[in-house]
Amino acid sequence: MQTLKKIVLVASIITILIISGSWVYLEYFATRRLIISTTTSLYDTGLLDALKEDFRKKYPVDISIISAGTGLAIQHAERGDADLILVHSPSMEQTFLSEGVGICRKIVAYNFFAIIGPVNDPAHINGTTPIEALNKIVNYGRNYTGYPPFVWVSRGDNSGTHTVEKTLWKKAGHNYTLLSKETWYVSRQGGMGEILMMTEEYQGYTLTDMGTCLAYSKQGQISLVPLVTQGKDLLNVYSVIAVVPSLAANQTLHSSINFRDAMAFIRYLVSDEGQRMIENYGVSEYGQSLFYGAVQLLKQNPTSQIAQWIKDYAFINGTECPPKYQYNQNDLYS
Amino acid sequence: MLNGEDGLNELLEGIEKAFQLIISGDPTVLDITLRSLYISGAAVCIAALWGIPIAILLGLKDFQGKFFLKGLFNALIGIPTVGLGLILYLVFSRSGVLGFLRMLYSPTVIIIGEALLVTPIVVSFSANALEAVSPEVYDLAKTLGASEDQAFFAVFREALNGVLLATVSSFNRAVAELGVAQMVGGNISGFTSVLTTTIANETVKGNISLSIALAIILFILVFGITLAVNLFQRRRK
Amino acid sequence: MIAELRNISKSFNGIKALENINLGISEGEIFALLGPSGSGKTTLLKIMALIEQPNSGEVYFCEEKVTNKNIQQTRMRATMVFQKTAVFNTTVYKNVAYGLKLRKIPKSRIKDEVSDALRLVGLQGFEKRLANSLSGGEQQRVALARALVLRTKLVLLDEPTANLDPRNAAIIEEIIGTVNRSFKTTIVMATHNIFQARNLPHRIALLQNGRITETGTTTEVFTSLSRTLASFAAADNVFIGDANPSVDGVTLIDIGNGVQIEMTALKSGRVSVFIDPKEIIISRKKFVSSARNILKGRITEIADAGNVVKVKVDVGKPFIIQITKKSLADMKLHLGMKVYLAFKASSVQTIQD
Repeated sequence: MQTLKKIVLVASIITILIISGSWVYLEYFATRRLIISTTTSLYDTGLLDALKEDFRKKYPVDISIISAGTGLAIQHAERGDADLILVHSPSMEQTFLSEGVGICRKIVAYNFFAIIGPVNDPAHINGTTPIEALNKIVNYGRNYTGYPPFVWVSRGDNSGTHTVEKTLWKKAGHNYTLLSKETWYVSRQGGMGEILMMTEEYQGYTLTDMGTCLAYSKQGQISLVPLVTQGKDLLNVYSVIAVVPSLAANQTLHSSINFRDAMAFIRYLVSDEGQRMIENYGVSEYGQSLFYGAVQLLKQNPTSQIAQWIKDYAFINGTECPPKYQYNQNDLYS
Repeated sequence: MLNGEDGLNELLEGIEKAFQLIISGDPTVLDITLRSLYISGAAVCIAALWGIPIAILLGLKDFQGKFFLKGLFNALIGIPTVGLGLILYLVFSRSGVLGFLRMLYSPTVIIIGEALLVTPIVVSFSANALEAVSPEVYDLAKTLGASEDQAFFAVFREALNGVLLATVSSFNRAVAELGVAQMVGGNISGFTSVLTTTIANETVKGNISLSIALAIILFILVFGITLAVNLFQRRRK
Repeated sequence: MIAELRNISKSFNGIKALENINLGISEGEIFALLGPSGSGKTTLLKIMALIEQPNSGEVYFCEEKVTNKNIQQTRMRATMVFQKTAVFNTTVYKNVAYGLKLRKIPKSRIKDEVSDALRLVGLQGFEKRLANSLSGGEQQRVALARALVLRTKLVLLDEPTANLDPRNAAIIEEIIGTVNRSFKTTIVMATHNIFQARNLPHRIALLQNGRITETGTTTEVFTSLSRTLASFAAADNVFIGDANPSVDGVTLIDIGNGVQIEMTALKSGRVSVFIDPKEIIISRKKFVSSARNILKGRITEIADAGNVVKVKVDVGKPFIIQITKKSLADMKLHLGMKVYLAFKASSVQTIQD
């Protein structure tokens, strides 16, 4: 049928026009776009949205933020679906660098994890060390027979938070695989916000970063309170790593531009303005900082206690970024 | 532990705040709603562009394998959105076959995904409507002076009700789906956040009032459009 | 001659529908095609309407041969009304105006033409009604109006009253006659109602198994028809028998199988007669009346014909009667039922003059 062929032809042309038109627009005319893959603990606090806005004022680059657990965030980058990652798991970051996918790592901020729980603290962990607290929770959970159920909620998603949790359990002398099967141990795959909501529902205990905890507390979404907040074991360090531009999947005309934008963002984060944004974030709303800038600390006070802790915990081979992964960006590491 | 009463209060508070958000024309709510309409609308347009010619072929012509093809489209109507979303994610990811287009996490790729999702609906419903047209209509048009093209158009016009229904049903499916938009869109605020993804993500983070507001809008959209179509059809009868 | 078919043949999937048809239609006449269902009447009409292509042979319209180049224009000068009513799913106005719009008639004129056409078929004021919501008879009249409004030189009607009740059938027949007389429109109609075939047309042709067996004026054909009727099952209630005038002034005809009927006309010898299905009364009990013919039989077939129902009763010979659906339901008639047929002697018509 003549008409049918005509219609099919017209339809094909229009569809191709629409799709290629959109693509051309996104590629050439829309503002440059940077995709940052980050962990939910960081994103759910709202810090990144604030940084994104501030960055936009200085550079004509739109930032798209994909948030997932740290492990997943890294996977996104490995697939080439992100230009930068912002995560808090030094062990995984090291693998990321050694795989040849990550370059130019900079430690940008830190805060502390905390073990939080209900106001009445049935397991009596308030003020104890992290290891003691965990052991108390284990005993309480094993001997608990009441209703409603008593729980410890875990991220269970190989995120930075989860990695720290596993390390703590190991330090406390427990076999994580066996422990996670006990009835009071609940593992829910989800972001930090989701875990907090679930823990709130059960009025149980969980490990969280202070940033997310404070944000949710202030918004009135949780009534749980931080009970164990001190200790080297609870240090939480955030780093930014760029994705190497020669990543096979990234080989397009504009890969070099993305890399330049990515480096611009890293430089912004470690600049005085960037660090100030990070330090000031949340102060007016929550009464205290959710994050502390790491750059100044490591440069000016390399011998302070916290700086030492950071070096012990988050440095790789004695430096924040081994030279072979520095990609000749010397100004970042002088 | 929160008891039932607190829960009810929370819900009512949430609903109250939701209405405030809607009535005050809160910019986030507006942005998300308009984006949902744009993305799903464009998806339906593309699906109709492709689906209607295919439906014409299936409804009016006879050929080998026609039965199989019809069955295939029928089966694809109910394809799980997360399944489709996963396939598209693997295809459009930068390390995937179409990665060089770098369309992942953009509205365009959601449009493509939703267009693929609803094409079976358009094809099946339209093909059925066309088949239901009396075979005499074509000859009738010709004997009244129509050329081949005009006669064909007359047949098509008889099936218009069915085709309209197909289009509206596919819009409802597109605007209310979550799997595709979530997996290939990434719910990036201000860029690819739509009604469904925002509701899903904000609820678990405890942001109830925004979720309720968007859910209300979603319900109104879907029910409203279906109602309007029913009324329109009844008038035409 | 307005239309001529020369050596036309048509097959569908290897089955011959028409074989070697030669036919000429004169301008201004009403021409009837008489034949049983399946004899190819519809195909023949469609070929004349130029919406079906023959496998072989030529079609001439107004002395000009119809080819691929001029078929679209020529098609505009003829139109056909189908047996199964087809209306567009829209208003009566839009239906009737369809052909006019295609011919690019200005809108103001269309309005007048449509209203004239509707008045012609007795549906004035129906413009805004939805065509689908009308009764069968009204829909067929809309189809007729839609065709007649085009003022084509040739109008083809396929069994125009087959599915209609007597009232609507009569209206349509009247319209056909008026249109032919007033506008000199050439009309070709296919029918299997011998009564209709006798009254309306000027000339008729008999179509059987895809071949034309007779052509001529009504008188000529009916006269020879009576001789060949044994093999002709074109119409309902047509019988051949031996007539014997009796002393009371009526003629008794033996039509075979022990069936005897009375007719008022005086004839003797071999005759062909028929009785209009509408004039036969069916009842479940025998009753006394002025009808001279009372026959007992069983119902062998009940067929839906649109607004009416055709019931076949075997009284030794098959009789077809026509009743309304309501009568069928009220009387609770069903297959195999024992019934009585009654009709007056004056209802028996002879086929020859």
